Amino acid sequence: MVSLERTQAPRFRYLVALVPMVCGLAGVLIANIPVSILGGLVPAPLFALVPVYFWCLVRPDLMTPAVAFSIGFAEDILSGGPPGIWTLAFVLTYALLARRRDSFAGLSGLAAVLGFAAAATFACAVAYFTVAGLNLLSGLHLPPLVPVVSELMMTVVFYIPTTLVVAWLHHKLVGASRSDV
Amino acid sequence: MANAWKIARKSNVQLPLILVVALAIVVVLLGKAQGSLFDRMRAHATDTIAPVLEKLRGPVAGFDRFVGSITEIFSVYEQNLKLKEENARLRQWRNVAIVLQERVGRYQALLHAVPDPKLNGVLARVIGRANRPFLQTMILDAGRQNHALPGQAVMDARGMIGRVYLAGQRTSWVILLTDLNSRIPVTVAPGNVQAMMTGDNSATPRLEMVSRTVVLHAGDQVTSSGDGGLLPAGLPIGTVVSDGAGGWRVALLADAAASQDVEILSFSKPPESPPPSAQLPAEAAGLKPQAPPPPPAPAAATQTNGQVGNPAQALSNAQVNVQAKPKPVTPAPVQPADSADAEDQDR
Repeated sequence: MVSLERTQAPRFRYLVALVPMVCGLAGVLIANIPVSILGGLVPAPLFALVPVYFWCLVRPDLMTPAVAFSIGFAEDILSGGPPGIWTLAFVLTYALLARRRDSFAGLSGLAAVLGFAAAATFACAVAYFTVAGLNLLSGLHLPPLVPVVSELMMTVVFYIPTTLVVAWLHHKLVGASRSDV
Repeated sequence: MANAWKIARKSNVQLPLILVVALAIVVVLLGKAQGSLFDRMRAHATDTIAPVLEKLRGPVAGFDRFVGSITEIFSVYEQNLKLKEENARLRQWRNVAIVLQERVGRYQALLHAVPDPKLNGVLARVIGRANRPFLQTMILDAGRQNHALPGQAVMDARGMIGRVYLAGQRTSWVILLTDLNSRIPVTVAPGNVQAMMTGDNSATPRLEMVSRTVVLHAGDQVTSSGDGGLLPAGLPIGTVVSDGAGGWRVALLADAAASQDVEILSFSKPPESPPPSAQLPAEAAGLKPQAPPPPPAPAAATQTNGQVGNPAQALSNAQVNVQAKPKPVTPAPVQPADSADAEDQDR
């Protein structure tokens, strides 16, 4: 593996290590601000999944499983759904990415979008089937599939602008301190 | 960007990953078993960000109106004609409703009907809406300090929107009638048909548990039935529509996506006290019911008989006295409760 060695002041390296987590939590906040821009026609995208996906591939030493757990937990608290759903979905998606990291990291262009779409599909599938299992345990109906698919589509649509922001933050803040953290 | 991804380094994270996955599963199970713990955290989080939401509300509502006006500007003329026609029809119904309301009031006065329970309402403002895959909710700027409690019905000017399911100090979350987790016992009129209205995240909740012998019609009115005592009876909800597959759904009167100000109804049904059992056979036989027992004088009865205060026994004693030959009861002078020596002397 190639490593880029850059110099960075030591005083910033610990703050830089927090950038992926802060970005993930910011994504959670933005996605869960309960303000309807389009009259609630479509659900908000999973903005927080983009930082998890990006830094899990680029800097797994900064996007650790614990950080993915924290971001998923914040998503659970603010989204109002059944507790633990997105925590489990984010952590299992992280596990998938960590296991197939070389395959995902080698994608570029449209293939990179498809790679993220696959990861997002996996996350939404985990969330859906977990809720379905909990509902079956409680004797309730299966959750409808359309809202989950809508959220998946919105997440993929917003992937490109979100990942541009994340990549810009990475190059401006994180990339320079790569060898120190 | 692709180049940046190719420089990724491997890290040995397998062991903590397994632990974190196990912890995530524990969170799911804990959320299932102790959901109130997460609810408190959510309420606290909403209370914290409530000022931000209230500031965001104005610009976003303006943007919503702007987006809505773009689509509606092309159909203003047709809408105007339709509204005029509907307005004329509603004026006729208003006159009918006023006449019927007066007639019902006279009947209730003649029959000494139990008046409907009075509902206290708290007017709240919608400061946020969330449309997530597993939850459709709105957030109000009234919480426990405004006497908004979980379970209370939320109405707009047209009908019921949902119920409060989580109340913080200053904010409360409303589970909409369309949400997957919403279940409301309803009455379909005419016919007084009892059913259960269940949300499925669509705009029209389903009508379930309808008896097979019942025939519903599109346009029948759906109101809350009050079963279970959680909601008041008679809250307007919507009208019956067919789903095209032999089932029935409810077209809601309220528009949760457009409501800005709603009312949280405080309703606690008082326990109904049954009539005295001694009167039931006499009533059924058409006999004149017994005269009500005179007001008991528990202090006098207990103190003069030297017995410890037992309301049931005192009441039975009073009834026996009434059946024998009622005498005017003269209340004895009230004595201090701790005058045990005086009671011993009376005995």
